[in-house]
Amino acid sequence: MLDKVRNWLEVRIGLDDIVKTQLTENRVPKNINVFYTLGVVALVGYVIQVISGIFLLIYYIPHPEHAFRSVQDIMSRVPYGWLFRQMHVVGSNLMIAAVFLHMITVFLMGNYKRPRELTWVGGGLMLLVTLIFGLSGYLLPWTQLSYWATTVVTSMPTAFPLVGDFIAQVLRGGDHVTGTTLSRFFALHIAILPPIFLSLLALHVFLIKRIGISATPFGFSDEERRPLTEYIKKTHPDGYPFYPYLFQKEVMMVMFYIAVMFFAISFMPTLFLPEEANTPADPLMTPAQIRPEWYFLGPYEMLKLVPNKFLGISIQIILVGIFLLWPFFDTQKEKNILKRPLLRGVFIFLMALWIVLMFLGRRS
Amino acid sequence: MSRKYLLLLTVLIVFILPSFAPGGYKEEFEKEFMSKPWAGEQAEEDVCIECHSSDKMKPAFRTITEEWRASWHAQNKVSCHDCHGGDSKDATMAMSRQRGFVGSPKYVEIPEFCGKCHIGIYWNYLDSGHGKALKSSVKGPNCTTCHGSHNIQKASIDIINEQRCSKCHSYERAKTMKQALFLTEKKIGELESSFRRLRAEGVFDEDDERALFSTQAEFRAIFHTVDVSLVKDRTDDFTKKLNVLEKGVQDTFKELRFRKNFSAFIMLLFAAMGIVVFALTKTPKE
Amino acid sequence: MKRRNFLQALLALLGSISFASFVYPLVRFLAPPSAEAKARKVTLQKNEVPVGGAKNIVVNNSPAIVINRAGKGFIAFSKVCTHLGCLVEYDKDNNRLVCPCHAGIYDLEGNVLSGPPPKPLPKLPLRVEGDNIVIG
Repeated sequence: MLDKVRNWLEVRIGLDDIVKTQLTENRVPKNINVFYTLGVVALVGYVIQVISGIFLLIYYIPHPEHAFRSVQDIMSRVPYGWLFRQMHVVGSNLMIAAVFLHMITVFLMGNYKRPRELTWVGGGLMLLVTLIFGLSGYLLPWTQLSYWATTVVTSMPTAFPLVGDFIAQVLRGGDHVTGTTLSRFFALHIAILPPIFLSLLALHVFLIKRIGISATPFGFSDEERRPLTEYIKKTHPDGYPFYPYLFQKEVMMVMFYIAVMFFAISFMPTLFLPEEANTPADPLMTPAQIRPEWYFLGPYEMLKLVPNKFLGISIQIILVGIFLLWPFFDTQKEKNILKRPLLRGVFIFLMALWIVLMFLGRRS
Repeated sequence: MSRKYLLLLTVLIVFILPSFAPGGYKEEFEKEFMSKPWAGEQAEEDVCIECHSSDKMKPAFRTITEEWRASWHAQNKVSCHDCHGGDSKDATMAMSRQRGFVGSPKYVEIPEFCGKCHIGIYWNYLDSGHGKALKSSVKGPNCTTCHGSHNIQKASIDIINEQRCSKCHSYERAKTMKQALFLTEKKIGELESSFRRLRAEGVFDEDDERALFSTQAEFRAIFHTVDVSLVKDRTDDFTKKLNVLEKGVQDTFKELRFRKNFSAFIMLLFAAMGIVVFALTKTPKE
Repeated sequence: MKRRNFLQALLALLGSISFASFVYPLVRFLAPPSAEAKARKVTLQKNEVPVGGAKNIVVNNSPAIVINRAGKGFIAFSKVCTHLGCLVEYDKDNNRLVCPCHAGIYDLEGNVLSGPPPKPLPKLPLRVEGDNIVIG
């Protein structure tokens, strides 16, 4: 029976050829490691967000008078509403962690180097879009946590001269966070960002397929050492077939990702939902502790520490710029981080700095 | 190589140079951003507190602000002007009759003073033996006799005790009342701590918490009639309402346990699948 | 059975169970609420609420009040004060609703006149059908 279907498809779209080129004859380097699966894990994380988000959309009401109540109803009245909401909340944080891990491992393996600069830029932009997804989604439950964290973050652009106030006003739709802000953040979250993300994703995947999977820097000498003056797709003729070799690894990592997500949902259900997240937003009462989510804590703390606000923001923008355009700054041929003590040192320093800032931000 | 450094330098200059420029926007920003509570600075306090806690004030008055700060009123953002009137933002009008300042009430005027907000309790008090005693002879308990004046704490059944109530009559009557109240108060206390536990686990049931508050407030308002038979008559009603709330709380705890088990089950399924796939990767095809 | 086949069968089994553990909640999630949607109505006779007077009723397990306003007709409110949930009382002589806990005062349209309540008193849908008043 299965053979009949296969035959039917083969005659129409050349199924056998697709299976051969994409799956069984698609060769990946022999020493490919599990970190190469993180991109797919991040993608699955995104898909989980989309699906759980669509189900939440069925019951959520995007209006300041009803938003909080609708989310409480999802958590306590709608059957299994809690399951989808928790998947969305925990999933968003976990996806950002997966994206960070993916980025760090690509960086450490030097897989952003020529000819893969554009792939890195696309990925960096996707990270920024993901962070904005997080920011816009955060406001939607209209809780004390949402309202005040959004107030803090939308005030940050006022550090810019001339255009700062205007930017903040466009973000908020006014002088303060109101229902107008909720509407535009909602539109951003469900209608504007997804097509942008998907376009970047399509570009990213196209580039990976077109250029070919890079070899790891560890082990045998890398082909990329030779000067590149013309397009040659990177192949691994003596490597393992993508299916089942790398595909199995990807499935395994996705299973563990989901297992971690459900571990958090079962045993740490309030990790991302502290008391302020269960209290309706009150524009007249500022809670004692306002902090952005963990992924914004580092930049937030830096902004508070640098004495000049404008300098604080400029430094961050410069750092983001350097991060996005890193392949253009680092043109050295050596990919192996173990042979690059300077870069290794700087990287470890910056990582440590980010983590310290994050913990400082938690305690403030 | 040098072109890249030139680019970097230009970017640095474009961004950092303006930081040193003096400019209205910097003051604006500091005013808007740094003055908010979440940026680390304090919110403004009432002008009343500023004067009444300063050294210029006589010592007897200076303790008032500390007492108030420790009170349940302070925690609920009820401050000086809410009871005494006056303008809390303008020092020159803080004690002005035009802004409603009523000064410090006399002993017999206290029930009206507190009854401005606590209406239900005021009505019941007036009907009670205590209220009638105060109105007829000036010798009787007013609100501050039991609750204090500035350091008012959350009401509890232990306000009724031998020391306080035997000042005017034997403790026997107060003891009977305390016994009549005891079980209901205990249940209310248990429900309050259950709701606190639920909140810690992420569940906020607004409707039920309100119903508890309303039941408790009504119950305590009835106490102020100091009519033991009335309290005994109505205790059944209150117990019924509290039992309904208690069942709701138990159901919620059960539901939370179910959720934990259900998610843990799914977690185990996926962990198992991950392990099976891992085993498959180590099992070569023949 | 070969190890490989066993593992594949096990994976298929676990996969189906996982799939079912999402499909079942999803179906329950999407199904329309049954009994909750049918709010029970309360019917009163017009003459049970004299002009200027009021009657306490219970609608959907929540205390409510029907008032016969002179010149403006019947109106029904939830009695739950929007401040902290105490039950408001009808002050006939002053044409207002007063909350005994912290003196929240509402007019007979439900608007807050003074005191701590943050929102107006919720109105309940009310219809006059012949000699009856139907609330809910």
